[in-house]
Amino acid sequence: MRMPAIPLGRRHLALPVAAVLVAGCVVPLAVLVVFSFFVVEDFELLPAFSGRAWYELATTASYWWLIGKAVLSGVAAAVFTALAGYPVALALAGVPASWKGVGVVVLLTPLYTGEIVRIYAWRIVLGSEGLVNAVLEGLGLAAEPVKWLLFTPFTTALVLTYNNLPFMVLAIWVSVEMVDRRLIEAARDLGARPFQAFVKVTLPLTTPGLAAGVFAVFALAAGEMLTPSLLGGTSGQTAMAMIDTLFGTAFDWPMASALALGLLAALFAGAAGLAFALMRLDGARAVLARTTR
Amino acid sequence: MNSGIGRASLATLVVATTFLYLPIVVLAVFSFNDSDLMAFPLSGFTLKWYGELAGNDAFHAGFVTSTLVAQPVGLIGMAVGLAAALALTAPGLKWRLGFAALVLLPFLVPKSVLSIAQAMVMSRVGLERGAVALVLAQALVVVPFTTVMIASVLVRIDPRLDEAARDLGATPWQSFRLVMLPQLKGALAGAYSVGVILSLADLTIAMFLAGRTQPLSLMVASEFRRELRPDLNAMQVAVLALTVAIVAASELYRRRRGRRRAAPAARAATAPMEAAP
Repeated sequence: MRMPAIPLGRRHLALPVAAVLVAGCVVPLAVLVVFSFFVVEDFELLPAFSGRAWYELATTASYWWLIGKAVLSGVAAAVFTALAGYPVALALAGVPASWKGVGVVVLLTPLYTGEIVRIYAWRIVLGSEGLVNAVLEGLGLAAEPVKWLLFTPFTTALVLTYNNLPFMVLAIWVSVEMVDRRLIEAARDLGARPFQAFVKVTLPLTTPGLAAGVFAVFALAAGEMLTPSLLGGTSGQTAMAMIDTLFGTAFDWPMASALALGLLAALFAGAAGLAFALMRLDGARAVLARTTR
Repeated sequence: MNSGIGRASLATLVVATTFLYLPIVVLAVFSFNDSDLMAFPLSGFTLKWYGELAGNDAFHAGFVTSTLVAQPVGLIGMAVGLAAALALTAPGLKWRLGFAALVLLPFLVPKSVLSIAQAMVMSRVGLERGAVALVLAQALVVVPFTTVMIASVLVRIDPRLDEAARDLGATPWQSFRLVMLPQLKGALAGAYSVGVILSLADLTIAMFLAGRTQPLSLMVASEFRRELRPDLNAMQVAVLALTVAIVAASELYRRRRGRRRAAPAARAATAPMEAAP
């Protein structure tokens, strides 16, 4: 006779894991909410119910601008990685199966280099005596070093794209691999040119992967502080650097908390908005395809 | 397109790979360049920057600190990732989507925001910022990566193997240890090395939570705010070489295991189907 089934199964492992994540991630974020209503007196954080920090956040233009800048750099990174990543994902999907593993490793290895290594390396590449300027001058395309390559919003956008490209490629690639090849063959058999088959079959079917990539890259890029502050020059002041100052130097924890939460809310709203827009775009395209048939 | 890879695809992959590796290659080239300045044209081959690196005690200390911090991060990240992946892929899990979202949360909340929130909590409960705080925070950020890696292998394991073991009288633990674990070893090795690598690569969390602990990334960041130096290039290349070695070792291990396991696992998986009426 079989023993009665033990009531604990694999799924019950979810409980301790959830406890760890709640303690390490949810609780700190909740504490931010609480602290944003506290007051600071004589360098001491006192429990109170003050809306001062939230009022300042809502009425100070520079805070709005910092959050807006984070959203802008997230949008830029999401758009650029999507444009650059889609062809790469398609190409990877066409690689013979035995080489796909190599493709993943090649794609992921740069992701493993430290944040500081990447920032450092780009300074060498884009510097006034760096690789790009040497090539431009060697080709006679520039008489003197191009200055805006480094310490400008361009640098920030470029390096944010670099940092996040592998994430975007992976997200799209997974959904391209799941597209049934026979659907594309059928479209081709029915007379669609390769580009038409791509727009009408592949692109709509891979929108979920694209949306996932956009969501992730947006959230990652908009929340990054090192790349803008070390490569963005005078324009590189970030909301995170401001939060760090409020937290450390100014000891204004309520304001730091409110700004961090404002940033977080803007990030999630922006990411959800982008992903939703993509889904809607997909729906619009379906309607368009039906009506223009 | 059906035979091999198209010319356009190949060109795309070459361009993408060049973009991804260009900064790293330039860094490596200058680490062997015989000049204080990182400028073209190159002035000659030298190993002196690596020599200076070998004599720099501060960097050695930073490297040891980074390595010591990375081991527990790898182990905790792997263990929690395994538990999370087992739960996530288990039949009958309620709130699966909610649990998945919770596991992915540390990936989606910016590391900087999360770290500053953790720093606030820790200073209120009296936990000193330092090595322990750093390990816990880094391990948490690693969990989404390890969970996805392990879960992607778990979903490919035939659940009938577990059922068969249980029918033959194995306890859940025996079935896990004797049936599942051998098939998971590669994924676990991969998860561990990803944890180690992400810990070595991290700067953001360290900035907020390392306290007086000085991992290599923090030391380099403070040096590099002032100037670019060829011996720093040499060090970055050395760290990079170590990273690639870890990736290559875990990938080779995974593949070797994969090949050895593939044959019997495939036979075991198809046997019940052949036996079915």
